Amino acid sequence: MSVSRDDVLRIAQLAELDVDDEALPELAEQMSRIIDYVAQLSAVPANGGPRVFVPGPDAIRFRPDDVNPAPLASGPAEFAPAFKEGFFVVPKLGQFE
Amino acid sequence: MTWETVIGLETHVQLRTRSKMFCGCSTAFGAPPNTQVCPVCLGLPGALPVANGAAIGLAVRGALALGCTVHPRSIFARKNYFYPDLPKGYQISQFDQPLATNGTLSFLSPERGVVNATIVRLHIEEDAGKSIHDRFAKATAVDLNRSGVPLIEIVGGPDLRSPAEARAYLQTLKQLLEYIGISDCDMEKGSLRVDANVSIRRAGETALNTRTEVKNINAFSFVEKALSVERDRQIALVESGGSVTQQTMLYDSKENTVRPQRSKEESHDYRYFPEPDLPPLVLSPEFVAEQQSELPELPAAKRDRFVASYALSREHATVVTSNRAVAEYYEGVVRAGAEPQAAANWVMTEALADAKDHQEQLRVTPDALAKIVALVKGGTLSNQAAKRVFAEVAAKGGDPRTIAESLGVIQVADTNVVAGWVTDVLGAHASEVGRYKNGETKLMSFFVGQVMRASKGKADPKLAQRVLEEKLAS
Amino acid sequence: MSDAKAVADRLAKAKRLNALLTPLKDLRKSLAAQSAAARPTGVLYGMPVVAKDNICTLEFTTSCGSRILEGYRSPYDATAIAKLKAAGALIAGKTNCDEFAMGSSTEHSAYGRVLHPLDKARVPGGSSGGSAALVAAGAVPAALGSETGGSVRQPASFCGVVGIKPTYGRVSRYGLVAFGSSLDQIGVFGRSVHDAARVLSVISGRDPRDATCEDRDPLRLPTVPESLQGFVVGLPREYFPPELDPAVRRACERAIRLMKEQGAAVREVSLPHTAYAVPTYYVIAPAEASSNLARFDGVRYGPRFNGSADVRALYRSTRGQGFGPEVRRRILVGTYVLSSGYYDAYYRRAQQMRALIAQDFRNVFDRGVDLLFTPTTPTPAFKAGEKLGDPISMYLSDIFTVTANLAGLPAMSIPIGRVKGLPIGGQFIGQAFLEDEMLEAAYALERVVPAEDEAS
Repeated sequence: MSVSRDDVLRIAQLAELDVDDEALPELAEQMSRIIDYVAQLSAVPANGGPRVFVPGPDAIRFRPDDVNPAPLASGPAEFAPAFKEGFFVVPKLGQFE
Repeated sequence: MTWETVIGLETHVQLRTRSKMFCGCSTAFGAPPNTQVCPVCLGLPGALPVANGAAIGLAVRGALALGCTVHPRSIFARKNYFYPDLPKGYQISQFDQPLATNGTLSFLSPERGVVNATIVRLHIEEDAGKSIHDRFAKATAVDLNRSGVPLIEIVGGPDLRSPAEARAYLQTLKQLLEYIGISDCDMEKGSLRVDANVSIRRAGETALNTRTEVKNINAFSFVEKALSVERDRQIALVESGGSVTQQTMLYDSKENTVRPQRSKEESHDYRYFPEPDLPPLVLSPEFVAEQQSELPELPAAKRDRFVASYALSREHATVVTSNRAVAEYYEGVVRAGAEPQAAANWVMTEALADAKDHQEQLRVTPDALAKIVALVKGGTLSNQAAKRVFAEVAAKGGDPRTIAESLGVIQVADTNVVAGWVTDVLGAHASEVGRYKNGETKLMSFFVGQVMRASKGKADPKLAQRVLEEKLAS
Repeated sequence: MSDAKAVADRLAKAKRLNALLTPLKDLRKSLAAQSAAARPTGVLYGMPVVAKDNICTLEFTTSCGSRILEGYRSPYDATAIAKLKAAGALIAGKTNCDEFAMGSSTEHSAYGRVLHPLDKARVPGGSSGGSAALVAAGAVPAALGSETGGSVRQPASFCGVVGIKPTYGRVSRYGLVAFGSSLDQIGVFGRSVHDAARVLSVISGRDPRDATCEDRDPLRLPTVPESLQGFVVGLPREYFPPELDPAVRRACERAIRLMKEQGAAVREVSLPHTAYAVPTYYVIAPAEASSNLARFDGVRYGPRFNGSADVRALYRSTRGQGFGPEVRRRILVGTYVLSSGYYDAYYRRAQQMRALIAQDFRNVFDRGVDLLFTPTTPTPAFKAGEKLGDPISMYLSDIFTVTANLAGLPAMSIPIGRVKGLPIGGQFIGQAFLEDEMLEAAYALERVVPAEDEAS
């Protein structure tokens, strides 16, 4: 399998997603199928291949340096799950800095 | 065993714009938490970034001042990681196609003369918000006012050879960026931040060894200390048989130590990819030329010009060009007619001392200072009297000569008047006159002192001495 | 001009479809207030329009069909919504969709699946299934959806309504909750080409809040053409493979014949890299999604899924429980293809392939072809549950639609017939920013095609 259970766990960590131990084998299998499927793209020559394509404008249009905030109908206190004394509150980082 | 230290600094500099990098929120410092926010910098679902043209201009100026190659086309990229004060779960930055590369910062090393440090790259990015860990128990408080403020990251090559050099490099960089007006460069306020890459090697080695990254250097005065501590730690480690592992070290200023950042899952896989919400950053030649034309004369060039045009020593020129305001003030004084050396002395001593006590305000106008300098030169004021006049003008303004007159400190340079005092003094001190004529020439200073007393300080002492010498010779 | 009560009543009648996420009680209240405030001079005055639940509205919640945004009230309107309001339209509620627009059947919503209006055992398509179903059921004249890989055209085909995806950059994405940023566009459903086009015109045009939105005036609506004389319609052979369902093929052939009868010239063309479109899409879209969905972490909005001991536990439980299985799968795939060591092999390759796909279209359009005509979907609506076992079989239902998103081109589906009683759509793919030509062809076909009839 191109995507092992360890791979799934590592990726899940990067993506900050809890993955059920039970779901792990099936997930690894599904991801492997998907990755194998998209691996067809190796038909494209590497380096020296065509440029990439992204639709949209060719260049950034500069915004003037005006203080003109996009409107907010209500402040963070209205939609934040935990808000105290004007701050968002999250549990401490624990063992991490 | 002689060890060589290899240091490269990464500086993050907040750009002086009114609004944020990708939204129209204010960047003003000190607002109540989470009041300078909008859907964009809060990372609300559906919000999109829009680039601030002024920030880009300032970034280009920084790159030009550092002699970098400014790339007409660069790409914004997403740097993906999770942290409570990073609202989108990614930072918009630049990765493999940055704004500028390949510049130089020349600075004076305390150890080996002029060093031309490489500037590897300069790119634009947005700041994260602020996490405050000690406000709530067992919780972190997050303020997103700072989220989205424009930053440039300046990456220096591994060209520094000591903590003292690192300090000098940073000082020079700070001065340059302040000069061109793109940032306040205030480490206390966080508009200038520095991280250092540190490694050691045996003297004579050319390859680079494993380096650590030192973070949390929050004040200028900590730079040398933090880097010294890390260098010493690495040397001790290697000398005792260990080896340096690549890790992030945090500086603790209270203990003056460094300790590893404890992050078990320290995965530095940022999964950079081009920012799909922003087209390429394309700079027209006109735009770049405009930024170039907005650059003032840079500190090094100004200093060299002062040495050449005003015959100042390099040391004096350095002091007088230490910041742009002072340099422009000094030239104002010279242009108003003051003799350059004298002007430099006055600026370096009286003017800067006064400014220090008055919120860096140079209170005496260049014109007025030039007049004071001229009055001293012309003998109308003694140095001491001139200082009194300076202080008055600083506090209350006004014309120096008028003030001198009202203070009664105009030196009398009328030979006849001085001759009168001299005659009186010589008349009152016949025995000293006799002793002088017998060879005790050191009594001259006594006589000058007496003339100054008689004139209540108004006599021009040089003139007094001349008249005394004439009269005593006869 | 409909009055507020009538609008709500019509939506109430369609309740069984599970297409509307907004509780009727809230809807009635809001419609009354909106009616009173609506601008009478607006070109869409009084027109009720429902919006897919991944489009931010001040009214009602915006949950994107997910638990992770359950109850979230957006503090701002999407630009498209603001433009609709300025034109006097009524925002008649939020529609059910695949979670975060990831899916092709609206079976991946946290709020239950949407029923096909004609056969409750079938899916309406996705991800904008709720919007398509309500227009098909006659509950509203028009609806907003969103497209990343065909999520407006495919349900339009399945439900027998018109669905339009504009050129990338034609409509502002500000307020559209991002899935695949370089692919996403807000699209429109309507009972007729005219209804859909009117709404598209209103929501289109420049927006300083979206850097990927082109600096253009709103779309000007073309008039219905007298004939298709002068139009050259290309038929890309890769979209008519030998294994294409014969009934779908017959419906398309009938539509082509009708266009020829109206004076169009028809030509076979080739888009050689078509076979790579689905894998290309399934690298780029999940990659961008994995980054776009990182902001859903329980910190600043939405529910938290655990009184957690530390912040990483907060992230992992909120995201692990708040996201459904399809979204989790795509985030993991996306994270994988961007991760160190894989970026070049997958993401970069996919962006290069995308360039080849876009070039295929340019080559064809440069040789005198004005637009392309293809089936929208390889089959009519499939049965609920049929494709849930294998993600890839679900992905393959996007086979004819993803290319337009990859190339950033405008495309639309109009009903062209029935297959065993189920609607089937025909697709036009137009040139960038030439929606008017595409609409003209669609008008011309619409007026003659027997969309209710089996193609024989």
